[in-house]
Amino acid sequence: MSEEAVQLSLPGFEQAHGGWRAEYSRQIGTDRVVKNRSGIEIKPLYTPRDWNGDAFLENLGFPGQYPYTRGIYPTMHRGRTWTQRQLIGLGTPEDYNKRVRVILDAGATAISLLPCNSGFRGVDCDAVDPLLLGTCGTVINTTDHMDRALDTVPLGKISTAMNDPSPFTLLAFLLAVAKRRGIPWTSITGTSNQSDYISHFIANHMFYRLSLSGARRVLLDHIEFCRKHVPGWNPVSVVGQHMQQAGATPVETMAFTISTALQYAQDCIDRGMDIDHVLRRFTFFFDISISFFEEVAKFRAGRRIWARLARERLGAKDPGSWRFKFHGQTSGVDLTVQQPLNNIARVAVQAMAGIMSGLQSLHTDAYDEAITTPTEETARIAVATQNILREEAHLCDVIDPLGGSYYVETLTDQMEQEMLALIGKIDDAGGMYKAAEAGLIQAMIGQSALAFQEKVESGEEKVIGVNCYQADNVAPAGRPTERPDFERMQRHVASFVAYKAERSQADVRRALDVLKRAAGSERENIYERIVEAAEVGVTHGEIVNLLREELGFGHPLVVV
Amino acid sequence: MTVSKLDPPARVLVTKIGLDGHDRGSRIVAAFLRDAGMEVIYTPPWQSIPAVVKLAMEEDVDVIGISSLATDHLIVPKLVDALRSAGLGHIGLIVGGIVPDDERPALLHAGVSAIFGPGSPRDEIIAHVAALAAKVREIKNAEFREIAQ
Amino acid sequence: MAIPLSSSEPAPASSDDILDRLAAGDPATLAKCISLMETGGPAADLVHRRVCARTGHAAVVGFTGAPGAGKSTLIDAYIAVLRAGGRKVAVAAVDPSSPIFGGAILGDRVRMRRHAEDPDVFIRSVASRGHLGGLSESIHRIVDVMEVAGRDVVIVETLGTGQSEVEVTEIADICVVVNAPNMGDDVQAMKAGVLEIADILVVNKADLPLAQRTTKQLQDMLKLRHDRREISIIETVATKDTGIEDLSAAIDGLLASRATDKAKNREQRMRRLIAQAAGRMIADRMRELSGPEMEALVKKAAAGDIGIADAATRALEIIR
Repeated sequence: MSEEAVQLSLPGFEQAHGGWRAEYSRQIGTDRVVKNRSGIEIKPLYTPRDWNGDAFLENLGFPGQYPYTRGIYPTMHRGRTWTQRQLIGLGTPEDYNKRVRVILDAGATAISLLPCNSGFRGVDCDAVDPLLLGTCGTVINTTDHMDRALDTVPLGKISTAMNDPSPFTLLAFLLAVAKRRGIPWTSITGTSNQSDYISHFIANHMFYRLSLSGARRVLLDHIEFCRKHVPGWNPVSVVGQHMQQAGATPVETMAFTISTALQYAQDCIDRGMDIDHVLRRFTFFFDISISFFEEVAKFRAGRRIWARLARERLGAKDPGSWRFKFHGQTSGVDLTVQQPLNNIARVAVQAMAGIMSGLQSLHTDAYDEAITTPTEETARIAVATQNILREEAHLCDVIDPLGGSYYVETLTDQMEQEMLALIGKIDDAGGMYKAAEAGLIQAMIGQSALAFQEKVESGEEKVIGVNCYQADNVAPAGRPTERPDFERMQRHVASFVAYKAERSQADVRRALDVLKRAAGSERENIYERIVEAAEVGVTHGEIVNLLREELGFGHPLVVV
Repeated sequence: MTVSKLDPPARVLVTKIGLDGHDRGSRIVAAFLRDAGMEVIYTPPWQSIPAVVKLAMEEDVDVIGISSLATDHLIVPKLVDALRSAGLGHIGLIVGGIVPDDERPALLHAGVSAIFGPGSPRDEIIAHVAALAAKVREIKNAEFREIAQ
Repeated sequence: MAIPLSSSEPAPASSDDILDRLAAGDPATLAKCISLMETGGPAADLVHRRVCARTGHAAVVGFTGAPGAGKSTLIDAYIAVLRAGGRKVAVAAVDPSSPIFGGAILGDRVRMRRHAEDPDVFIRSVASRGHLGGLSESIHRIVDVMEVAGRDVVIVETLGTGQSEVEVTEIADICVVVNAPNMGDDVQAMKAGVLEIADILVVNKADLPLAQRTTKQLQDMLKLRHDRREISIIETVATKDTGIEDLSAAIDGLLASRATDKAKNREQRMRRLIAQAAGRMIADRMRELSGPEMEALVKKAAAGDIGIADAATRALEIIR
């Protein structure tokens, strides 16, 4: 706001402000410069001079109204609370089933499935040292495994998040199970949570299975298949989590993620798809760090930028296409191994930031996340944290409660500006696909990661129990590490090997030949063939292996 | 900053075996070992044990740094056995990452020199690797001196 | 602090043992010899002299070209072709050392991932250690050792600064210069000097839209050369194994027609190395030299009474 405008509307402002400034300077001693993680300088005080609600309707408006800065729906959490969607994955399908039933009994309507690391590598459980199986996720290599994992789970009534990258075999197994149970695919809802192959190539090599061009082809086929056959499914989840965990600043994360979404949208348009049909089913997935206000500003700015780009740049006409739907997960990177109980407080603050940002679903980490997969007890505390914030702190009562804060609105505007500048840079580089292929994004993230690392090591960025207040460090309780039951896992592998021998080899052979042909033809839909293959008992490893041969093995670009 | 003064410079392999793919930590360690004057052979994750043994031999490394999350540390003893069988038992070995307390003794007993958890100070890691490399280099130099006789 | 893992090594060997094991192709011995060459000293000299007596049987192929052209990936594909033909390979991949602290990240070999478990493909990463010219101080000795170690082809991958990479012509029988499209001004910036050293030019990433333009540019630059040699330009897509058989055939063709040059090259290289070593020895002696004659000479030169060239001639007489 200009000085004259302030003087006109708030007579006496300048004088009072000057008075505060003088007293502040006198008492503060050394006034250090404070910058947030994105490098934006943070002042001690924000006033109408910084932000005064100019262009309120244009920039803020109301929840459920373009550009959705205050929220994508009119009622937000007051009408319908955010979805609690806790990630689960451990051991055998039976282990998973036990855990998921507990969650559903407690009233959850949304579940999430995390496959074993061997699955991420694209191999079956019999191809790996058994010591490494089932420790971070569930081993599901066939439709039968999925059937056991989802025993008694009402597939048509709950929403499932599949944390499974291209070629999305887990969804294929789920669809095959639904068919077996007579549940129509039109009632299956959920999200392909890890469909963002560009973010994997850049920042989570664990999840990167097929070549960039191969993953691109499979994703587009996947989107078309879901549109036709599983219309309640979100095939695209654009993921900011990996890049932020790899060290990208909040501004960078949002800019890169939105650029990726633009890339996928453009790819769909180039294929001749209707942009509104496609964007309506775009969702986003972010980490929530403990930089509280910065996260709130990040999401508000992202919402506004996305709405405008979807409408003006991509030409989407349906308001559903302009709405920035996102799932937030509290960031494991901020959690510490030292004094792990402190992480409960950290997760609570991260969750608060996510809730006040207006997210649609939330996962809260267990406090031992940095060390191991959660136990029942630590998982329970993670869920209780959300319940406390909702029921006791009443964080659902007001929509966009930080809206109108001089600080938060100024920060939202500033972060928006920086994000738009970065998006422009990526446009200049030819778009996100090309920028990632050339290693540009990786280099930027590497710089940010190193810069933050140095701040922690120098003590400029304080982490309790790590570089300060270590004297309080107590030796951990000495709880024996929880591992999946080794013998049970070995039996699981043995039964899997037996299953492969007993299924119809002819059917499997045929399905793989059909899949191979589809991979070589632009006119066929690869994902349709994957689902057919899953139905006749082809395994996860067999599908991934074939696609790697036909479409290229995913070797990430290594940038030190 | 700690700097390694070995001449020729210490040769360190930074790698990941097992299934985990999170390499942010190992990349940062590789970078600061380089800045400390060491030659670092850096590999992507998911290296097979035979590939690591072959690399360690061809590159005549002094120290191997394994970055381990999840349960990858459980197969480190298998790597140790493979190295010894190949006549590479003299190479120093450290593990970085998350290793539950109750599983540390097994690693140290198998021959791992040190385990560095997250938040370990950079200088501590560099100093340990440098000292380890110097010790290994002594063994190698002794062999060279014999040849010259 | 813990002691390193106990050694299960056999007792240290004599230089005879080492040469025998080396010639038998033992990779552990090859690795140790390379380290010895990098360390230098009397043991290294002794082993190298023994090696020199036997060398000259492998084909040495050098790959150079600016960073980003895909040298390592191309070499990976080329090795696959060599292996399919039953040939044994050794690779020396040079990476730059950091000028300030002297460390290095050696990352070329991980791109040769197809051969990570093949015992007949020996890969060694070499840091430049401050040496200018695209290679390292010790690379000559390393290549000599590799030649003696029962390998059919020795591949040298240079730093790829793209500018002053002439050294590779002294070690390699065949020099392959790798280019790629979309490298901005790099084709133009590549001085004619670099093109002069090429025996074969490769345009990698030939599936990119601008590849045709790069090929044309190279053809035009070749026309400007004085050298009448026929230089082939081969288009490849290393990531898809396209054009690699052609490259291998071209290399083999040139090797066959140049069998006699190998000894001459070697002698030329020796001459330069001797001159270099002599120059260093003289420079060191000059710097250390004191005494009235030298002092007077220096004062005269500083006052402009005598030119530097003449002063040097006089100084040579003094130190003889």
